[in-house]
Amino acid sequence: MDKTSELENIVNSIRANKGQNAILGIQDSANLRSDLGFDSFDLAELTVNIEDKFGVDVFEEEIVETFGQLRQKLGNCK
Amino acid sequence: MTHASKIFLKDGEDEFTYGDLAKFVSGASAYFPVIKTASIKDFFYRLVLALANNKDVLLADEDFKQDNPELKKAGFLSDEDRELAPGECFKDVDLLISAVEKSTSNIVLFSSGTSGQRKIVSHQMQSFLRSVRKSATSSKDLWGFAYNPAHMAGLQVFFQAFLNANTLVNLFGKGKEEIFSLVDKNSITHISATPTFYRMLFPENNTHRSLRRITCGGEKSGASLHAKLLRIFPNARINNIYAATEFGTLLVSDGEYFAISPECSGKIKIEDSELLVSGKLLGKITGGEGVNPPCADGWYKTGDMVEFADKERRLFKFTARKKNFLNVGGYKVNIEEVEDAIRQMPQIEDALVYGRKNSVTGNVLCADIKLLPGSELSQRDVRIFLEANLQNFKIPRKINFVGAMERTNSGKIKR
Repeated sequence: MDKTSELENIVNSIRANKGQNAILGIQDSANLRSDLGFDSFDLAELTVNIEDKFGVDVFEEEIVETFGQLRQKLGNCK
Repeated sequence: MTHASKIFLKDGEDEFTYGDLAKFVSGASAYFPVIKTASIKDFFYRLVLALANNKDVLLADEDFKQDNPELKKAGFLSDEDRELAPGECFKDVDLLISAVEKSTSNIVLFSSGTSGQRKIVSHQMQSFLRSVRKSATSSKDLWGFAYNPAHMAGLQVFFQAFLNANTLVNLFGKGKEEIFSLVDKNSITHISATPTFYRMLFPENNTHRSLRRITCGGEKSGASLHAKLLRIFPNARINNIYAATEFGTLLVSDGEYFAISPECSGKIKIEDSELLVSGKLLGKITGGEGVNPPCADGWYKTGDMVEFADKERRLFKFTARKKNFLNVGGYKVNIEEVEDAIRQMPQIEDALVYGRKNSVTGNVLCADIKLLPGSELSQRDVRIFLEANLQNFKIPRKINFVGAMERTNSGKIKR
């Protein structure tokens, strides 16, 4: 599975934990807060899961805003 | 004199004036003894209504459950409204503000207990008024509201703003771009928030000049965050506050270090590196450890550990809480409370809750769960169960199902 799909799975697992439906084909422009519905605790969960999967703390230097920026942090191109 | 047309609250596109609020309060025939945070406008309107009429209120998070046994224990049996005599005098905004300031209501909040059970803390207005500054200068302040309004910090900001007839602009739960837009559009001068809130503002290339005062509360904040804030808010001064649900705001500092001021001496002391607060400053506490919290000779042990920078000038900073508490995004979580809640699930043999360092919220809660033989559970099952029993910020975000847990010689789980 490529990194984008894995990242999408992580995002959707957080949504599933909140009882929300999965989003397939998340756009790069999708805002983590306003489009994906994440609050600070969800973002914290996101960083933990990404760190466990990829070994990268994506928010270490700055809090990224969009799904595309997340992918960039993981060094992936669609 | 406060004009009725002055804006009391802005939330998104909605604006509510002090006149609207006064009309609501003076025309109400019922008040709400339990107020939840679903709508910030309703929350503040109902709070002012109850306080102006000297009625007791319980303030709760949006996810607070109505059949919660603590409600019954505190004497708040349901959240249905209760009858009220009309209050024509509250049509005058300044009389309304004065009535709130002089209110004899009990304001009931929740706090995590040291032994794992949630405490109910009841305050009167003086707990909040102690830290409210009223002046001609303060009357021109414009506040960005960035806390949960049902918690001590949020209430402290609310009273500071309301008693000075300031405008409040709701920033809580908003994204970075919207926050900066609101700061600039409204020329917000004051924000009080947790470091988690401020961390969410970066990266930011623009400067925002209206802000004059930034207050950090709820979590430790460091020099590097302060430096970043001053780059984007160049006209602001930053201070830290130390407050708790049990006693309100206690200390304010200009930098990283706090001092026991002359007003506070006799009411605060440090013993064995722990901050102790005089029982006289506490709200009334029920539930948890019993009617009154553990006090040694009239002093309440906060559980907050400090280290001195300058013992002679009595300058100190906060280090870590005692081991059973964790700070998650500015909220204090009692680890035992969460473990006890998880163990209520019939499929669970044991549970261990712990924190993991996190760039967003400082710490994130994790749980290792050992199931009884033959049992099955998913992470979602655990979440659903905990959502019915705990506030959102107490729910572990990383759940691991483990085969075994090590125990110490006395039978406790090895952390």
